[in-house]
Amino acid sequence: MQTPPIIDVQSIDKFFYTPERLQALNRVSCSVAPGEVVVIIGPSGSGKSTFLRCLNRLEYADSGHIIIDGVDILDPKCDINAIRAEVGMVFQSFNLFPHKTVLDNLTMAQMTVRGRSKQEAEAKGMALLEKVGIAEKFAVKPDQLSGGQQQRVAIARSLAMDPKIMLFDEPTSALDPEMVGEVLDVMKNLAREGMTMVVVTHEMGFAREVADRVLFMDKGEILEQGAPEHFFTAPTHERTKEFLGQIL
Amino acid sequence: MATYTGLDRPKSKLYYQFWSIVFILGLCGSMALLYFATKKVEYIWRWNRVPQYFLYEEKVTIRAEMEGKIVSIDPAGAEGKNVRVLVRGDDGEETHELPKESLLLSSGDHVYAGDNIGYYTHWKPGILVEGLWLTLEVSFLAIIFGIVLGLFTGLARISDNPALRWGAITYIELIRGSPLLVQIFLWYFVVGTVINSILAQSGFGQISPLWFGVMALAIFTGAYTAEIVRAGIQSVHRGQMEAARSLGMTYAKAMRKVILPQAFRRILPPLAGQFISLVKDSSLLGVLSIRELTKASREVVSSSLQPFEIWIVCAILYLVLTFTLSMFVQYLERKAI
Repeated sequence: MQTPPIIDVQSIDKFFYTPERLQALNRVSCSVAPGEVVVIIGPSGSGKSTFLRCLNRLEYADSGHIIIDGVDILDPKCDINAIRAEVGMVFQSFNLFPHKTVLDNLTMAQMTVRGRSKQEAEAKGMALLEKVGIAEKFAVKPDQLSGGQQQRVAIARSLAMDPKIMLFDEPTSALDPEMVGEVLDVMKNLAREGMTMVVVTHEMGFAREVADRVLFMDKGEILEQGAPEHFFTAPTHERTKEFLGQIL
Repeated sequence: MATYTGLDRPKSKLYYQFWSIVFILGLCGSMALLYFATKKVEYIWRWNRVPQYFLYEEKVTIRAEMEGKIVSIDPAGAEGKNVRVLVRGDDGEETHELPKESLLLSSGDHVYAGDNIGYYTHWKPGILVEGLWLTLEVSFLAIIFGIVLGLFTGLARISDNPALRWGAITYIELIRGSPLLVQIFLWYFVVGTVINSILAQSGFGQISPLWFGVMALAIFTGAYTAEIVRAGIQSVHRGQMEAARSLGMTYAKAMRKVILPQAFRRILPPLAGQFISLVKDSSLLGVLSIRELTKASREVVSSSLQPFEIWIVCAILYLVLTFTLSMFVQYLERKAI
């Protein structure tokens, strides 16, 4: 790998006090090259969502370093808002702004964070809605959309910021089965266009087809990683075999 | 028709008609009961004396300002209903315009300073209307200050900064823990005395009791509003803040553009209740000789000796204010969706 990694996680720990002390991440290290698609799988409670949320500091890792595009986001002096503008995030529960129309959802951050004009932001927003296939719904409120449509709007909202990295936190887990496909299609297109993506998902088909690398996490540690063809066919770790045996 | 949830057997149409009639009969019955009870104690209702406290015709006497002689009386005004009286004396001239039929003197008469020339009448708002207006004014100001105070205290209450958070908690607990009447006394007789004494010593004017009253109400309401605002903000799903922050928005921007608009819609109903309370609580300001509606009513009662009518009217006037406020908030609620 010649190009420097765009995400470089160096041995991070994360504890939760709920109130008993719980180690969510245990010395996790990982780096992602520009344009790489990394899929993280693992049983629930394995720390994969926590890990993802640490990457844009929605959770503050307790120790270690997270270098995003050359900046250590665990350094208290870093401008986290500037970093977050470059790191899009898609949530399991969409988290669209319900009081705004679909188009306003896309333009708000463009105007307030990127300082774009209303026309510019709306042009960009409409182009992205076109891309995710719901341009005709630009004027409705999010609660009038189906789950799949909402998630596509959420992806478009993140893309409107022209991010360098996209994080997906179980983007299809809250969807009805027949809507999973439309969201995955959008994500596949994105991967094809060369977006750097870190995806936490249970969609093994997606992992197999799109991922450059699959990470398996359990109990706050990355137990195994590798190219999907190798990962799914010849896992080395016992726990990985057990997990794959359960879900495949 | 009332909502049928399907949890019970459907009600027949007769059921609703019957109980509607029971309701109306109950309402009329209790009013009739009140009427006959007052008859029993020989109270004489004089509703015809009430309107004068809303609007009355004031008679203004016109007096000569200097000694002289009435030189001329000419028709004036649009339809010749008025006359212009010209008085000429040693010191100069003066003219008075007044209605023709009220003129007491004729041309050539000699007048002394202070002599009655005639009068005119005009309509003036009565004491109850003035009291109502003052109640409205005080409540409006207190609501505006209360919202601002409550918003910032509510934000301080959930802040990470200990000084802000503890400051907000102290303020809220202090204000909620003592009676409003005591607070009004404190503001006026303690804080007011200190401030006005200092102002007097420094050669400035005094602050009127009205402003201490408004301050007491606003600070009282602010504490309750702060808790409503806090609950509203915390009721907005955590994911909204995360989504806004993940797009690179600052905390302040996310709060203003994403969280507060959603919280605002949810806190409208409890906020309306709070402000309705405030309108009613403004009746306590009478103790500072602010002649708001209740104080005005008390004065009318002591001069008219018609307590039944006046207190009923007073209650109805408060109802008009609070009901209007309630309707306005419901309109806002519908609009915000």
